[in-house]
Amino acid sequence: MSSGFRAMHPAVALLYYAGLLLFAALLMHPLFLITELVGVMLLLLLQGQGKQLLRGLPFYLLMAGSVALLNPLFSHRGAHILFYLWDQPVTLEAVLYGLIMMLVLLTIFMVFLSYNYTVTTDKFMYAFAAAAPKTALLTLMAIRFIPLFQRRLHEITMIQRFRGIDVSKGSLRKRMRDGMTLMKVLLTWSLEEALQTGDSMKARGYGIRRRTTYSTFVLDRLDTTALLLLVISGLIPLILWMLGYGTFEIYPRMRPLVFGGGEALMYTSFCLFVLIPAGLEGKEIWLWRSSRRKAYPSATPELNGTRSMSSPSQ
Amino acid sequence: MARLRFPLIMAVALFLAGLALMAALKDRHYMLLSLVLLGAALLPVFLRLERRRLESRELVLLAVLSAIAAVSRIPFAALPSVKPVSAIIMLSAYVFGAEAGFIIGAVAALVSNIYFGQGPWTPWQMFAWGMAGLSTGWLRNSWWMRKRAGMLLFGFLWGFLFGWIMNIWYIISLPDAFSWGLVAAAYASSFYFDLAHAVSNVFFLAVLAGGWTSVLERFRRKYGLLKE
Repeated sequence: MSSGFRAMHPAVALLYYAGLLLFAALLMHPLFLITELVGVMLLLLLQGQGKQLLRGLPFYLLMAGSVALLNPLFSHRGAHILFYLWDQPVTLEAVLYGLIMMLVLLTIFMVFLSYNYTVTTDKFMYAFAAAAPKTALLTLMAIRFIPLFQRRLHEITMIQRFRGIDVSKGSLRKRMRDGMTLMKVLLTWSLEEALQTGDSMKARGYGIRRRTTYSTFVLDRLDTTALLLLVISGLIPLILWMLGYGTFEIYPRMRPLVFGGGEALMYTSFCLFVLIPAGLEGKEIWLWRSSRRKAYPSATPELNGTRSMSSPSQ
Repeated sequence: MARLRFPLIMAVALFLAGLALMAALKDRHYMLLSLVLLGAALLPVFLRLERRRLESRELVLLAVLSAIAAVSRIPFAALPSVKPVSAIIMLSAYVFGAEAGFIIGAVAALVSNIYFGQGPWTPWQMFAWGMAGLSTGWLRNSWWMRKRAGMLLFGFLWGFLFGWIMNIWYIISLPDAFSWGLVAAAYASSFYFDLAHAVSNVFFLAVLAGGWTSVLERFRRKYGLLKE
């Protein structure tokens, strides 16, 4: 059961995350990057992913922070020298560039955190099933095999224990050999069975002609509106960026940040793009609260416009 | 819509490539360009897979081997770099050839990251493990690969190569600091992880080699799979 942005059509979610990644990789402007970072973190919190965020944060900060630290140590370009470290100048430009790169990396990590929650496997496969049917089928089968193999491995371990083949007992050498025996049993069993599946696929006519696809996702009016809004609000900053607005030049010499009319338009549109999903989530929360406040007079529940969808994978 | 799908994908790909080039030339920002190039590197083998007449048995075989490689990563999740994935990919490529090895490696990376979390590293892992499979498949008929020691050495080498490829996406974000010093610092900081990967590769290859190749060879002969 999912609601809000997670219940939207996969095309909306994929377009949104692709756009976020594109902006993170293109716009080297601190204001835009901070806005995107805050927007995605807001979305994560609204989606109830605060715990995941906290759990991953030390790793992300370490990765991104080391970029901020390494850049001034190895890059000495720039006009404003802050101080000398081991006879090497540390410049303001290099420090700023490192910080901006840190923001870029943090933003990308956050985008993927939200992506992992929103774009479930079935949505990801939906996007590729039509474009690359064989690869999609192959990936889908591999995804399906993983829980099956884990179960099988457990079963094999239980059975082989009676023969004395046990990875938890004996010398290291014996344990390793036993572990590999278990894996070999799993390999033979799974291959033999999977090839039967392959034969049965063939018997039912797989590969005779092009695979047809169907989708369980319906594009409704809200999806179309969101899609249109995302495309328009995403294209405006992109085009303005290509025209040279919203750039922040650090090397070879730092230029002051300009914020004119072009940048204002670009920033407004960019904010709209980043905040659309958070707005959808916020709308859900608001509707839920107001529906609880109203006591229903009759037993029949009232339609309140809350979007929900039980995704097929769950 | 279906008729327009291919031109649409091509148009989007070209647009992305253009943007990536622009970012690289204008701001010396290579992140997007690196992703576009990785995509281009992964494309040919998957395109061949799509075009080729593939028996359903072969498709299922590739799926099973990718899934086994991905599953083998899960019990070792607590130990960074110690995982039998590379060994399993290399052995599969040794039996079934370069192309199958590439696909098994790339799909194993993609699928196991569904459990470990997708990130900017996913396409790099797909590429690195795909290349491990591809190179093993190419060299499988050379005299030294036929020998046990040669294969173990190759596995050791790929432990380091994998780490070095994974370091690129990190180094690429600092175009101005790029110098041999930075490269040395990045590679020195990952040295212990790479060494652990290389040693575990040798270990897993040594343990798996005989048994697995004979099992896979038998399946290949019995069902006539993936013959050139």
